[in-house]
Amino acid sequence: MNLSTNLEQLRARFEAALKQSADARSLDSARIAFLGRSGEVTALRRTIGKLPAAERPAAGSRINEVVEQMETSFREAQARIDALDVGASLSQRIDVTFPSVAPLQGSIHPMKRVMHDVCAYFERHGFAVVVGPEMEPDYYNFDALNIPPDHPAREGFDSFFVTPNLLLRPHTSPMQIRTMQQHRPPVAVVVPGTCYRRDAVDARHLFQFNQCEGLLVDEGVHMGHLKGMLTGMCRELFGSEQQVRFRPSYFPFTEPSAEVDTTCPLCRGDGGECRMCGGSGWIELGGAGMVHPNVLRNVDYDPDVYSGWAFGFGVERMALVRYDVDDIRRFFENDAAFLEQLA
Amino acid sequence: MRVPLGWLRDYVELPVDPNAVASMLAELGFPVAAIETRPVITGVIAGRIAELGKHPNADRLQVGRIEIGDGAPLTIATAATNVAAGQTIAVATIGARLPQLTIERRKMRGLESEGMMISADELALPADWFEDGIMQFDPALQPGTDVVEYFRLGEAVLDVEITSNRVDAMSMIGLARELAAYQSVPLRLPELVHPGAGSRGPTHKVTIESPDCRRFVSQIFSDVHPGASPAWMRIRLALAGQRPINRLVDISNYVMLETSQPLHFYDAAKIPHHHLIVRDARAGERFVALDGSVRELTPQALVIASETSAECLAGLMGARNSEVTPATRELILESANFNGARIRRTAQELGVRTEASSRHEKSLAPTLTEMGAARAAQLLAQSGATPHEAAAFGQPLAPPAPVEFETRDVKRILGFELPVQEIREQLDRLGFKVEPAGKSALRIVAPPWRTDVTSSADVLEEIARMTGYGRIAAEIPAVRAHEIPSSDYRRERKVATTLAALGYREIVTYSLHGAQVFEKLRRGGVNPPKRPVEVLNPLSEEQRYLRHSLEPAMLEYLARTDVPERTFEIGRIFYTEDRQPLEMSAVLFGFTAEPLDEPDWRDTHFLRAKGDCEAFLRALTARKSFESAADERPAYHPGKTGALLLDGHEIAVLGQVDPRLQRAFGVRLPVYLCCVHLDDIPAYEIPQFKPPSKYPSTYRDLALVCDVELPAQRLETALRASAGPWCTLVRTFDEYRGPQVPAGKKSLAIRVTLRKSDATITDAEADEVVAKAVSALRAEFGVTLRA
Repeated sequence: MNLSTNLEQLRARFEAALKQSADARSLDSARIAFLGRSGEVTALRRTIGKLPAAERPAAGSRINEVVEQMETSFREAQARIDALDVGASLSQRIDVTFPSVAPLQGSIHPMKRVMHDVCAYFERHGFAVVVGPEMEPDYYNFDALNIPPDHPAREGFDSFFVTPNLLLRPHTSPMQIRTMQQHRPPVAVVVPGTCYRRDAVDARHLFQFNQCEGLLVDEGVHMGHLKGMLTGMCRELFGSEQQVRFRPSYFPFTEPSAEVDTTCPLCRGDGGECRMCGGSGWIELGGAGMVHPNVLRNVDYDPDVYSGWAFGFGVERMALVRYDVDDIRRFFENDAAFLEQLA
Repeated sequence: MRVPLGWLRDYVELPVDPNAVASMLAELGFPVAAIETRPVITGVIAGRIAELGKHPNADRLQVGRIEIGDGAPLTIATAATNVAAGQTIAVATIGARLPQLTIERRKMRGLESEGMMISADELALPADWFEDGIMQFDPALQPGTDVVEYFRLGEAVLDVEITSNRVDAMSMIGLARELAAYQSVPLRLPELVHPGAGSRGPTHKVTIESPDCRRFVSQIFSDVHPGASPAWMRIRLALAGQRPINRLVDISNYVMLETSQPLHFYDAAKIPHHHLIVRDARAGERFVALDGSVRELTPQALVIASETSAECLAGLMGARNSEVTPATRELILESANFNGARIRRTAQELGVRTEASSRHEKSLAPTLTEMGAARAAQLLAQSGATPHEAAAFGQPLAPPAPVEFETRDVKRILGFELPVQEIREQLDRLGFKVEPAGKSALRIVAPPWRTDVTSSADVLEEIARMTGYGRIAAEIPAVRAHEIPSSDYRRERKVATTLAALGYREIVTYSLHGAQVFEKLRRGGVNPPKRPVEVLNPLSEEQRYLRHSLEPAMLEYLARTDVPERTFEIGRIFYTEDRQPLEMSAVLFGFTAEPLDEPDWRDTHFLRAKGDCEAFLRALTARKSFESAADERPAYHPGKTGALLLDGHEIAVLGQVDPRLQRAFGVRLPVYLCCVHLDDIPAYEIPQFKPPSKYPSTYRDLALVCDVELPAQRLETALRASAGPWCTLVRTFDEYRGPQVPAGKKSLAIRVTLRKSDATITDAEADEVVAKAVSALRAEFGVTLRA
């Protein structure tokens, strides 16, 4: 049998195979069987070597010619199949109202989100975020913060002791001291973290809670800056109309000291029968004030040169208000419904 | 502190509306926790019983003719038994409104009663704090006087919170002083002349042996009669929440509530030689208190003793022996000042807290001893007692040290400008003495009762209070650059956001737990930590221990739900090393899942957990691959637990929770957890770009038969090592065990990807590399290519 006949038969069989192919896959297997690396065309090419040398070029070009034809046929067949596929695809009709396939969706705990939002606000204004140990010695919890032993204010920090001198921090303020010991002014930090107090448990109190501390110390820092930053923070957390109010108070580590209130986001300060603020129109956030000169002296800052402010707010308390949650314990119960709603 | 507004008005002009007073107090730094309004009572007047006789028709009733001043006397029947002719009593006239009823004209057993004699209860006073029966007034009270108005019974009572630095304000005068200064109105103090000067009566002596008694003002009073106090005093005490007892006790309580200075009275007859000694208690000294309780003292306690026994626990409570009784005719008054810290420690040690100690422990101003003593002397003299010469012992009253105050600090610290003149006026209103000291400074002397003001910062707060905190204007500071790092916090955030992105939900649980957690661990076959970190003073047994790992709380959480969950927690865990409690940051994440129908040598859930763990570690470290190794540890499944390693260091442990522990915690579904200690994770390394080869890659899939015990990772590593530099990836993608391979063997399907950087790799090159690598594996592990 001569080469031409062989080639023609080969081509005819290939065309037939293409014609029979109803999808891309069978089309492809036909291509591999004929035009593939170990296909029939390759086998045929190998026979060229047996021909006399003079016939070889003609045979080669003959094969190439047929292969080219076969490839054209293949592309046509491919286009035909593809048109079929598109047609089939276009005729599909689904129910778009059918429930979605749920993605794997995680979430950040709502208390942590509030914590992060507070930190992010201060970071934007040039504050660093530092974290510290939850067990702290007396010195950092009290002495360095101008609360010597037997100071009546220690009563407000009813603490859990782990050794006679080591306690679960009742506030994040120890990090004020640690930060100022390590850095010279300017110091601008916020300190988020878990604190512990021997408080009886109810809808507003827990023995474990989280606090966000803020501290800014530099030349020329005054109480108006504290109000400015806290107002900005409240607007970020609760809404753009928030106001902040200071009331005189007492903390040994600040002087002057203030209780900080913000407009009740529920009644927008109207009061009345508001269940969130009890009708006062204000929500208590926590304590703040100008860093006591003795605290500055304890870390070798000159209070005649440097001044600063600090605040410490309960994160769950802010989250309670922000999300209108009725009971602080929910933040530690992690009910699926609770986490889902606030995710 | 309960503050009856009617009492407060004695000393200062105030707005009628209690809310207005409350908001002034709040602006001064004394928030009002509650305003207790009094019920409306009208038509109650004082009446004198002119005659009293039996009711004609009823044995149990009496009928009185009551003089009521201008009007005609009233005829009133009563069932009370504490009435007698001559008494001045409370009478509700016809039409009077009482909390529970309105008085109407009515007949009692046929006799018309023109009103009602009433008791303290009907005046909304605590019934059991007053006489049983009809409320008795002093004979001096004019019949016809409106009782509610006279005793200011309609005035609200404020519950005022007083910060611990302002013990001077734990009193009516203290708060009145603040309100007077705030409003710029005068303060009306009671006259404070000490009666008894020049008396030649009995003398007494006080010896102070402890420096913790700074001052002791004392005085003897004769002819005392401890009957009931006058009605006005009893009513005030009751409204302030203090139970009236008798004339003497009431005077001491009244003076304390009025001036802040606690007092104590001794029955002089019980004090030999009228000699009092302030000294440390003796070890084991017995003390029988007023209330009959018996205590053994330690030298920590400070006592006021007679020559024979301790008669008072300084600042806390008196002894039964020398307490004033109805038989007392002569008493010694104590108005003393103690070191607050000492009183506080003793109170804590003995577990006693009294109204007196709550003031003493905050260190009262010594000057108040004079004021308290003088006021008590005056009230005792009014009650008929004879005062004798007062004496003061201890340290003389030292004037407070002056404070140098830079006026520019107002602007520097508070942020607003205030003229010096205004500063001076404000301080003057609060009783401070102010004089100029140089160009811009003031020399300021605090009033003697304000021992809390000792520095310029304290003065600033006074100025801020007087100006009003509302004056502080919000301003955004320009924070100067600094180099304090936020790295620890950022890393925690990265952990949280990465895990949330991997589909895990964050939870926050308590760090404190009870012994029941250890019990569950034990039941699950896990030994609890040998030395858990323990709280010395827990609130309850449920909060005794600090968690040593995040697993128990996670398991308890997962036990609460029946459906598959994916959760994580980031938190501190606590442990003991060399007897030292320590803590570290840990991360735990994992899921519960319905078991899959798989052969027991395969667990896709584990591989999923491992994939998440690797993705998590990649995000944190930017490293691309991690070694893994089988691991065994308590709480985890012995055959489904592994460690992930980086540069030979273990950085994460993951696996299925031991099914015994899972059951002990009551979790329905299998649990897969991954535990990471944040400090073990190497720092993030900024990845460096290497341009990929421009030439295409090729791959060879191998089916290798090897021992079942041989971990896939070892084959991968060996393949990679022997395949040379063209090998870009070796990855096992399937495993087979069964009849098609010999017993004890398994078949692993591994894909080897090859690529050259300078040319397209040829089939021959790829085949050669793979053949060489396979023969190396054959030599090392005895693997064969599956037929």
